[in-house]
Amino acid sequence: MSEALICEGVVKRYGDTVAVDGVSLKVVRGEVFGLIGPNGAGKTSLVECLAGLRSRDGGTVELLGLDPEVETREVRQRTGIQLQTSALPSRMKVREAVRLFASFYQRQADADLLLERLGLADKANSYVERLSGGQRQRVFIALALVNRPELVFLDELTTGLDPRARTAIWDVIEDIRDQGTTVILTTHFMEEAEKLCDRVGIIDEGKIVALDTVTGLVAGLEAPVKLSFRVEGEAPLDAIRNVGGVTAVTVRGDRVSVQGSNERFQQEVLQVLGTHGVWAQDISTERASLEQVFLELTGTEPEELAA
Amino acid sequence: MSAFLNLTAILTKRTLRDPAAVFFTLAFAPFFAVVMGLIFGNQPDPQFGGLGYMDANLVNFSAIVVAIAGIVLVPIDLVGQRESGALRRFRATPLNPLTYIAADIGVRWVIALLGIVLMLLVGIFGFGASPVGSLGGVILMSALGILAFLAVGYAVTALVPTLGVAQLVGNVLVYPLIVLSGATVPLAVLPEGVRNVAVLSPLTQLVEGLQGWWLATPTWTPIVVMVGVFAVAGVVAVRFFRWE
Repeated sequence: MSEALICEGVVKRYGDTVAVDGVSLKVVRGEVFGLIGPNGAGKTSLVECLAGLRSRDGGTVELLGLDPEVETREVRQRTGIQLQTSALPSRMKVREAVRLFASFYQRQADADLLLERLGLADKANSYVERLSGGQRQRVFIALALVNRPELVFLDELTTGLDPRARTAIWDVIEDIRDQGTTVILTTHFMEEAEKLCDRVGIIDEGKIVALDTVTGLVAGLEAPVKLSFRVEGEAPLDAIRNVGGVTAVTVRGDRVSVQGSNERFQQEVLQVLGTHGVWAQDISTERASLEQVFLELTGTEPEELAA
Repeated sequence: MSAFLNLTAILTKRTLRDPAAVFFTLAFAPFFAVVMGLIFGNQPDPQFGGLGYMDANLVNFSAIVVAIAGIVLVPIDLVGQRESGALRRFRATPLNPLTYIAADIGVRWVIALLGIVLMLLVGIFGFGASPVGSLGGVILMSALGILAFLAVGYAVTALVPTLGVAQLVGNVLVYPLIVLSGATVPLAVLPEGVRNVAVLSPLTQLVEGLQGWWLATPTWTPIVVMVGVFAVAGVVAVRFFRWE
């Protein structure tokens, strides 16, 4: 079985509000799968239904071949979860918490090795509530990994962290992935999804509105691609305009910007420069990002979310 | 190590790291016994039917510990854990929720009982109080009382919406109960009307029960009341307890 998770038509309602509205998706073993979407899009509700922390109102979920609502114990044994609002009882130390949680599982990771891996070895005897945000978050990642899970859910794990702590957490996620653990994460940072996720599902108003690799999503947007460079002397502008796919050429000072509708025109433009004996310097290319895909599909600025 | 033992060990540690919990459950009763013993001594006094102050009142102090450990400390700690999301974190593991509750109650029970035993030792060896009846009976009655009031604490936890309300309810309940129980002021001193209300309080019944065992005049009523309180509070707690 290569799928770690298969869900079909998952629905979650709170009273009259439909939080998750018929979501179907598959997550392959060993991949990092990201769910992105505006606040209130249903990311957390979906993840909690998939993990078996909330009962769904419709649809089927097969997590590691199990129904998380029926075979809850087994699912808990084999998966890990980092909840969006995680906390521990006060006055507990880091190593104590990790050992305690490990004792709830049949398969147990070595607490000290785990803390070492997460860069928490020197905080093992600190009270959890006295750690910085980034360190605390790593403790909760440790708790999600104490049973050496086959699949781990990470819900908004870098929200509220400063950029340095965030990139440190990214290294941790890549390490988890390299150990063969399937990761399902939610985020509202586009950069995070671009950096970490093999595939991304964009969720809006409870529905998956797009699902693909980051490259696939961006290509699907058919947004213009840009190439710009500096030349000494005269640029062969007419020849550049004649390159297939080029839609616009603008010149500002000695800097030339070429816009096109496919990816191939860039190389051809550079070839044209070569045949005309013109050297391009300071070359840069610009393409659409996941952010633009997100904006296009959800009508929400990701920057607003990050605030 | 099994989940239960590990949980018990960690919950014990975190309780002992909380100065307020240590003071009120472990240190308060012995401390109170020392203060009262120093003030009133244990000279035979006709007011107490020829017994000394400590002979007549020592066991009553237990009620203070029982009430605070159950009605004040349990809701504050557990509602706090519920609000922070800590209880929910445990729910996301394979741990049986009843294991968590059993370990939590067990730790509180033992620590509070230890406080009461220390208090009895202080009264007996420090101030010469001596039980006419059964010391074992007093300890068992205390154990039953702690269990009943821990259940009340769990019931309050289940019913209150927020930490603020938990603190309010705990404090509003606990002081009248303690004053009416005879734990601080002997019941005989209170006006008859107040006394008639006081006997309806479960904490007063606990004091009556402890007195009964200490003075070799045990009755069934306090035992039945404690079991009843435990059962009713237990049902409310089970029915309304929320993990998030």
